[in-house]
Amino acid sequence: MQKLSPTLKQIEFPANVFRLDNGLTIIHQHLCATPVVVADIWVKAGASSEPEQWSGMAHFLEHMIFKGSPKVAIGEFDWAIENSGGIANAATSHDYAHFFLTTAAAQLPNTLPYLADILLHASIPEDEFIRERSVVLEEIRSSCDDPDWVGFQALCQNIYKTHPYKRSILGEQELLMKHSPNQMRCFHRTHYQPENMTVVLVGGIEQEAAISLVNESFSEFSVRSECPSHIIEAEPPLVEIARQELYLPRIEQARLTMAWLSVGAECLEDGIGLDLLSVILAGSRCSRLVTELREEKQLVLDVCSDFSLQKDSSLFTIGAWLEPKDLDLVEKIIRDRLQELRDRLIPEAELNRARSLLYNDYIFSTETPGQLAGVYGYYNTIATVEQSIMYPKIVNSLSAQQLQRIANQYLSPEHYAITILKPM
Amino acid sequence: MSLNLGASNQAIERIVLPNGITLIIVENQAANLIAGRFFLKNAGLIWENLPQAGLSHLVAAVITKGTEKLSAIDIAEKVESTGASLGADASTDYFLLSLKTVAHDFPSMLQLIGEIMRSPTFPATEVELEKRLTIQSIRSQQEQPFNVAFNQLRAMMYPEHPYGVSILGTEKTVAGLSRADLQQYHQTYFRPDNLAISISGRITKTEAISLIEKVFGDWQIPPHPLPTRKLSTLSINPSQQSIAQETQQSIIIFGYLASSVYSEDYPVLKLISTYLGNGLSSRLFVELREKQGLAYDVSAFYPTRLDVAPFVSYIGTAPENTEIAMVGLRTEIERLANVRLTETELQGAKNKLLGQYALGKQTNNEIAQILGWYESLGLGIEFDRLFPDNIAQVTSEQVQKVANSYLTKPYISMVGPNFF
Repeated sequence: MQKLSPTLKQIEFPANVFRLDNGLTIIHQHLCATPVVVADIWVKAGASSEPEQWSGMAHFLEHMIFKGSPKVAIGEFDWAIENSGGIANAATSHDYAHFFLTTAAAQLPNTLPYLADILLHASIPEDEFIRERSVVLEEIRSSCDDPDWVGFQALCQNIYKTHPYKRSILGEQELLMKHSPNQMRCFHRTHYQPENMTVVLVGGIEQEAAISLVNESFSEFSVRSECPSHIIEAEPPLVEIARQELYLPRIEQARLTMAWLSVGAECLEDGIGLDLLSVILAGSRCSRLVTELREEKQLVLDVCSDFSLQKDSSLFTIGAWLEPKDLDLVEKIIRDRLQELRDRLIPEAELNRARSLLYNDYIFSTETPGQLAGVYGYYNTIATVEQSIMYPKIVNSLSAQQLQRIANQYLSPEHYAITILKPM
Repeated sequence: MSLNLGASNQAIERIVLPNGITLIIVENQAANLIAGRFFLKNAGLIWENLPQAGLSHLVAAVITKGTEKLSAIDIAEKVESTGASLGADASTDYFLLSLKTVAHDFPSMLQLIGEIMRSPTFPATEVELEKRLTIQSIRSQQEQPFNVAFNQLRAMMYPEHPYGVSILGTEKTVAGLSRADLQQYHQTYFRPDNLAISISGRITKTEAISLIEKVFGDWQIPPHPLPTRKLSTLSINPSQQSIAQETQQSIIIFGYLASSVYSEDYPVLKLISTYLGNGLSSRLFVELREKQGLAYDVSAFYPTRLDVAPFVSYIGTAPENTEIAMVGLRTEIERLANVRLTETELQGAKNKLLGQYALGKQTNNEIAQILGWYESLGLGIEFDRLFPDNIAQVTSEQVQKVANSYLTKPYISMVGPNFF
């Protein structure tokens, strides 16, 4: 077992990172003030790992994991964790699937082995596969009744032309009906292997106990399989305005979402720069677009901006809820404000405000073992875990000149995708 | 199983200042931050006159937008340049201001929240802006089928009662609100003897008292008494209503008039909602989702309320499964009145509820919130210890008896494509 040291010496990394001989990564942090432990297991097996025809498989598999293994009956894990006062859940994204439990430290040895076993040895029984598919179809139906979800799916298809990020994580009903349990087993045995997994343990457990428990629970993996290959092509840059309009029933407000592609997680500094720009544009009451569009000109019900860091082409969005008649004007104002970011340096006071907001937001969102485990696992899956703690330092170090360069590079007022939803 | 976390592990101090402010302090050195919650008791939706529904929400939307000394922009800049979070919210049974800062910034932000609470000006332009935005939000609620069904249920269960209306009010009532109404509301509820302040974080008892004294110590109790109000009584009159919409799923919600937090049945109903609706091992999840694949979302909840709370259970399902889902949901709920829970089932539900209750007090925000809330409900901070004890004592006989008394006559609200 090899201990990996943080790449940057000046950063004191509060957790320890280990790699087992089989390739599994363990991240551990002991917090002595809490009796709670969180175990969060991250797998590089999100929707982007699916062959195109297998769309929806990663998320459907996340559901099927909870249907047990040869050693753990259906519902046995759920009962073990909840009957001992703990909580378990899971989530799937394009870049990952992760499975987490929160429990009293004393209960970890009675619960983590169950979770490890169903993760490593999911049975995926045929009859359960068919039953659970109905649940996934209900999840899709329910999402389709949410106009903001529908809008976001449309936007992803609009902006991503080649990358799997264009696909819905939930998949499509038609394709889901064609998937077989054997294909799912193949997907599972290809991806749920040690080199693709990170086990994060944070909370009231000491290092030796943590490592030994993970060692015991995550020793035997399934026999490897090999999925049909999936090729991820780099997303080409936008060279025009990709415009899309949808008419939806039952919506009271129109929506406008403008989006830009940027770097992947390997270029964290630019990503954090885009985070700062999203705060400056529409991340708070003082931000430029909230002040102008919501408070002064009163053209929108709300306006927001978001940067979501992904493994590959990350996504920067600006969204507004508004009356259909104001769509053109609001789009034009947003373009003008982007042009301003290119033309003029952000005043120091305004930049400091955005830095404080993001810096403190980081402190506020790393308070509990669950939040910490999530941050470590996420960064280790899409980039490197050390980057997680560089975030606050980078936030404070980026200059107005750098932000101007970043705005210039990524946020073009001429080339973007725009998805508009109008009431039918 | 035992899990003692957060507030139950730390020293909790409760004192009443000379001007009537109740101050709760939890010193928690774990992280470099302080959370403060400022509860105005007996404010919130529950004491609104129906023609003024939405008043508390509008006060919350405008109160941070101007004081005698500061404009809306001044306030926002002060908060954001500190990187703090400061907000106001109207809730069902109380009105709340909240503050979260890194420890070092707490005194200056406390000063600011003091000024907002004591001398807001409710500028006329801000009132008009927030009224218009609130009306748009009320319309936007109609975009989500669950909200449509829940609004309908609430109106069926609580006619002529504040719980029957959304916290936002209605388009009509909000349109009728004026700046004078907001000022009147402020004069009525914002007074030191109606305030409970709950603080958790990196701060000592002495520091907290001295800071609060400095900001609020000279706030006098006004000569007029706090208003006394009487709640309208509710009668159980079950009905069923449907709204036709072109949705992909049918939403079915069952509602039962249950009881307030002061009732001896409260812990029993909490345990029942946990047993039915909480988590992957809950009865509804296992029977209707895992075994029948009828739904992605099926659950139950029973909120903690000052007056008669609803017990709610819901399912979203494919339109062709509406009937079978409805029967399934009803059967599972009524089963509790007919069949006694086994010792294992009962103990499992208790373990789950108590574990999650403890896990719900991990952050300073959560600790400050729950203690301040209990204080504002008049239960006192002891309720944080009493509640787990009460849960531990619930018997299967009580579960059956309470299910029999409350959970047999549902109000039913549905939204979906096949109702006419």
